[in-house]
Amino acid sequence: MDTLRYYARIYLLIEAQYIKARLQYRADFIISSIGMACSYAVGIITFWVLFTTIPNLAGWSLNELLFMYAFYLLSVTPLQVFFDNIWSLRIKVRDGSFIRYYFRPLNMMFYYVSEVFDIKGLVQFVLGVIVLVYASVQLHLQWTLPQTGLFVVMLLSASLVMISIMVIAASASFWIIDSFPVLALAFKLREFAPYPVTIFDGFFRVVFTYIVPLGFVAFYPAQLFLRPGEASPVVWASPLVGIALFALAYQVWSRGVNHYSGTGS
Amino acid sequence: MRRYLGYFHIVKASFMASIVYPVGTFFTLIGNLVYITVVFFLWHSIYSGADTLHGMTFNQTFIYLTLAGSVLILFKTYTDWALSSRIIDGSIVSDLIKPLDFQVQTFAQSLGFALGNGVLITLPSLLLMVVLFHGSFPLGINLLFFPVSLGLAYMLSFCLDYAVGLTAFYTQSLWGISITKEVIVSLLSGALIPLAFFPEGLQRVLQLLPFRAIYSIPLLIATSSQLQIADYFQLLLVQIAWTIVFLVLTRLFFNRAIRVLVVNGG
Repeated sequence: MDTLRYYARIYLLIEAQYIKARLQYRADFIISSIGMACSYAVGIITFWVLFTTIPNLAGWSLNELLFMYAFYLLSVTPLQVFFDNIWSLRIKVRDGSFIRYYFRPLNMMFYYVSEVFDIKGLVQFVLGVIVLVYASVQLHLQWTLPQTGLFVVMLLSASLVMISIMVIAASASFWIIDSFPVLALAFKLREFAPYPVTIFDGFFRVVFTYIVPLGFVAFYPAQLFLRPGEASPVVWASPLVGIALFALAYQVWSRGVNHYSGTGS
Repeated sequence: MRRYLGYFHIVKASFMASIVYPVGTFFTLIGNLVYITVVFFLWHSIYSGADTLHGMTFNQTFIYLTLAGSVLILFKTYTDWALSSRIIDGSIVSDLIKPLDFQVQTFAQSLGFALGNGVLITLPSLLLMVVLFHGSFPLGINLLFFPVSLGLAYMLSFCLDYAVGLTAFYTQSLWGISITKEVIVSLLSGALIPLAFFPEGLQRVLQLLPFRAIYSIPLLIATSSQLQIADYFQLLLVQIAWTIVFLVLTRLFFNRAIRVLVVNGG
């Protein structure tokens, strides 16, 4: 518990400095936030355009899909905000500057990711909340206290799944020269997440449930709130999947860190 | 003549550089297959038994969108990123002092990269699409017009990248500008959803904007079997007109932006 408090305090100190430094570049913050908002707004507009042609997608209405999309936006937020530094890992590993993370009496993964707090990622969060509220109102969803608690648990589990996938992909840079395409691929896999898993046929459904568990990023948990009666029982494994996958990602990262031998300069 | 040889060498060098890491390309190829898979199942369930929607069959839409995804990768040469980093670190001066036109040099670099993309990613994905998903193209006169149209579309895409890269003369915040450009172009050009699926009022507006000349026009030429010869020429004319406009605008922008350039020593 003490360690946890210690780390929380350090994290706050680091981020306070980081945010102060970033706020010097106000134009950059505004421009990147617009970019962020646009890239997800396009996802929403795409749904809207499609639904001018079709009444439902595999039985799901536009508002239900928007709810899934909101869940997806919220569940990828922690990855964007807290883990954005993993995109630079390949560069730091290649030019040797990664070596400095070995010299602090802190957990290396913690120290590494704490270096960046991606403020523009909060745009994703805000957009997610707006879409969630809109969809909830349209669908007349009742948010009781236990429901809300369950929502938060499911959301955190989903976030862990997304974070773990990306950490594993980023760790590839410890072994291969340019891991950018691996990261880009893992990031692209997200594109499966906001759609109902039921639109895929048996083979892909199995893959996205058990092998690359993207179904847990949005569809299975969203189903639990939209149509609890139809919800697949696998959704209850969601927290377990999140934690297990993160443990695996941490293992891969640790192996990579131990395997890395610097550049010799 | 020597000058053209110079450009040719730039194309060659950047082509070679782009195919050095075939392992990386392998992952990009898989990424594209991921996209094709999503497109297949998503649109399969959108069609759900309907023969045609907005005059397009499932096969036509599927080919259109997977081709769009592959062309998107073909055009992704990171020109904006490369250009802006040269402007920011000042190494742009070594390009400016060459007796070659700056925009054409940048274009040559981008072209080499695009050719690398084409060989390593676009062609294999199209082959896989035909083999795995049994997609098929209408074979006919359209195959004559498609390369021309694709070339013009590439020029337009390059000009946009070039303009985005040049903003580095004014701001170092490239990520936001680049991603905004990317998503706006991919939506309004019909690369994500064929323009025929957009509401009618919006379609009329999009007809007047340049974006459709980048994806929608070449893709329609490749996938549609109902066009007449006159239609092909009309579509190409639209592209040529926009290409001229884009070239003039980017050259004006460059002449203006270059005035603020200050590089300290070397």
